[in-house]
Amino acid sequence: MTSSPNVSQPNRKVMIRLENLTKRFPGQKQNAVDNLTLDIYEGEIVVLVGPSGCGKTTTMKTINRIIEPTSGRIILDGEDVTTANPDTLRRRIGYVIQQVGLFPHQTIGENIATVPKLLGWDSKRVTARVDELLDMVNMSPADYRDRYPKQLSGGQRQRVGVARALGADPDVMLMDEPFGAIDPITRDRLQNEFLRLQSEVRKTIVFVTHDIDEAIKMGDRIVILQEASRIAQYDTPERILTAPANQFVADFIGKGASLKRLNLSRVSDIELSSWPTVRVGADSAQVLDQLRSSGRDSVLVLDDAGRPRRWVGAGDLQSSPSGALEEIGVPVEGMVEPTATLSDALNELIAARNSVTIVVDPAGVYRGVVDINQINETIRAMRSTSAAQNAADLAERSTAGSASERP
Amino acid sequence: MNFFEFLVNRSDDMLELGLGHAAVVGVSVLLATVIGVSLGIATYRKPRPREAVLAVTGAFLTIPSFALFILLIGPLGLGTMPVVVALTMYGLLPIVRNTITGLREVDPAIVESASGMGMSRSQQLLRIELPLAWPVIITGVRVTSLVLLGIAAIGSIVLGPGYGEMIFTGLARVGTPVAVNLVLAGTLGIIILAILSDVLFYVIRRLTTSQGIR
Ligand SMILES: Nc1ncnc2c1ncn2[C@@H]1O[C@H](COP(=O)(O)OP(=O)(O)OP(=O)(O)O)[C@@H](O)[C@H]1O
Ligand SMILES: [Mg+2]
Repeated sequence: MTSSPNVSQPNRKVMIRLENLTKRFPGQKQNAVDNLTLDIYEGEIVVLVGPSGCGKTTTMKTINRIIEPTSGRIILDGEDVTTANPDTLRRRIGYVIQQVGLFPHQTIGENIATVPKLLGWDSKRVTARVDELLDMVNMSPADYRDRYPKQLSGGQRQRVGVARALGADPDVMLMDEPFGAIDPITRDRLQNEFLRLQSEVRKTIVFVTHDIDEAIKMGDRIVILQEASRIAQYDTPERILTAPANQFVADFIGKGASLKRLNLSRVSDIELSSWPTVRVGADSAQVLDQLRSSGRDSVLVLDDAGRPRRWVGAGDLQSSPSGALEEIGVPVEGMVEPTATLSDALNELIAARNSVTIVVDPAGVYRGVVDINQINETIRAMRSTSAAQNAADLAERSTAGSASERP
Repeated sequence: MNFFEFLVNRSDDMLELGLGHAAVVGVSVLLATVIGVSLGIATYRKPRPREAVLAVTGAFLTIPSFALFILLIGPLGLGTMPVVVALTMYGLLPIVRNTITGLREVDPAIVESASGMGMSRSQQLLRIELPLAWPVIITGVRVTSLVLLGIAAIGSIVLGPGYGEMIFTGLARVGTPVAVNLVLAGTLGIIILAILSDVLFYVIRRLTTSQGIR
């Protein structure tokens, strides 16, 4: 790697290398992708992000040669695949598009089995793989295997799209706005699920979006593209937010970079606060005792499995002294799991009672709470690290003259 | 002799002519389907060939059937052959048109994801595009069958098989009491065949269309 515009990462394996990639569509005056060189490392999610029409989709589709490049080379896992047989190439690469493109005349099971069958797996192995993949995307095989796509919700179809792309366990996945056409709440859930899945499967993923927030949340690294797929900055989300390389990047990130940084930390990264709790069976004396010793004005009532159910204060006990704990007070809402970002936690917190967000594990069992002070501290900590980083970066650029490495 | 007695009297004839009529139409529909679907597949992605095929098969339909049957006597002689050829020509348009429409209506995103997963062109066509276009194609075949059941009657002017024989015999005896009965019986036979063919295609369509797109 001599004068590559990429972040140098000598200790990681390059999984996909695009070399001087250029695409001009027939009849167009300008290149849709203009001399792009990019290294993508094994096991990372690299997000291509940029304004509409800048060439993200075109760039991505040259990797599995749905779009044939006009010139340049595509190197996959050390092998030049620019002129390889496209069908065999594509069976090695998972592919998810925004419209999902499930085959409506095939069952979910048949859809997911597509690539394994193309590769000639025997039917036992295919069936086992289909069930494994449905489990992976949190859909019960028994319930969904034999359904047709029209019998699923949009979010479920999107999950099946991901499962289908993972079919033959490809090393590389290409995803073009996979969560684009979904309502914000479902999108958030799918993103979290996908990140959890990725932490297990560790694929090399090229992910296209035009949404910088999604890029920050999903990316191990982000490529911000200008028109004709020119790289404005290729960096980690932290660095993009704290040290934008130029005005284009700064404008693209927009205002509120501080708040966006909250997307970079997860609830599991911080130490949770505690809150007084009682079990549903507790009597009012226990509740009052908890209230007095904690100094809070309500306690959190947990059910027998340890899942938060209601907030109960001293006033609630007085107004219905004989009421069972599961019938008084107010029901809890807006809980997050440890994989949620601090930004998610802050969103819940703003609307929540007692100004705290309850954290539960995936089974719904109470783990602790997040309050505004913890979020504040995290922002402050990030600011000081990034300030230190910026200083170091400046020093490095002026001494090594490596500023030229960044266009 | 009333019409009902006439039918009972001629029931052997009715059955034999019906089988002949059904056979000649069946063979023609089969040929038109094979040729029409192939032409559709070959041209649906290319605008010029597509328009050309539709124009030519459309032009066939404008040739008066009397004229076509008689013109075909020259090269093919009398009997079943000219009837099958003429019917096949008439039957092409609905099938070609529906094949092209059906294939073009398949969501491009579905085809793209098929090719993105590494299906070859022919796999995409056989496993994805044709099954999805199938309900439209089979509707074209159904329309062709109905049209050909009617036209086949004219085929008896070149001595082709079917109910046309009764109708033309009736025509030749206009004015006698049996004439009306002959024409009515031939027509009734064709109507019954048309109803049977519709039922048949309904069943075929149900059985061959995936639940996922019904
Ligand atoms: N098949 C095509 N023929 C001609 N021009 C095309 C074709 N596909 C894309 N383009 C052009 O290439 C450029 C890049 O398109 P591309 O779809 O890669 O953009 P994008 O970054 O994915 O945009 P978006 O965020 O809107 O999806 C655009 O100017 C587009 O008009
Ligand atoms: Mg795009």
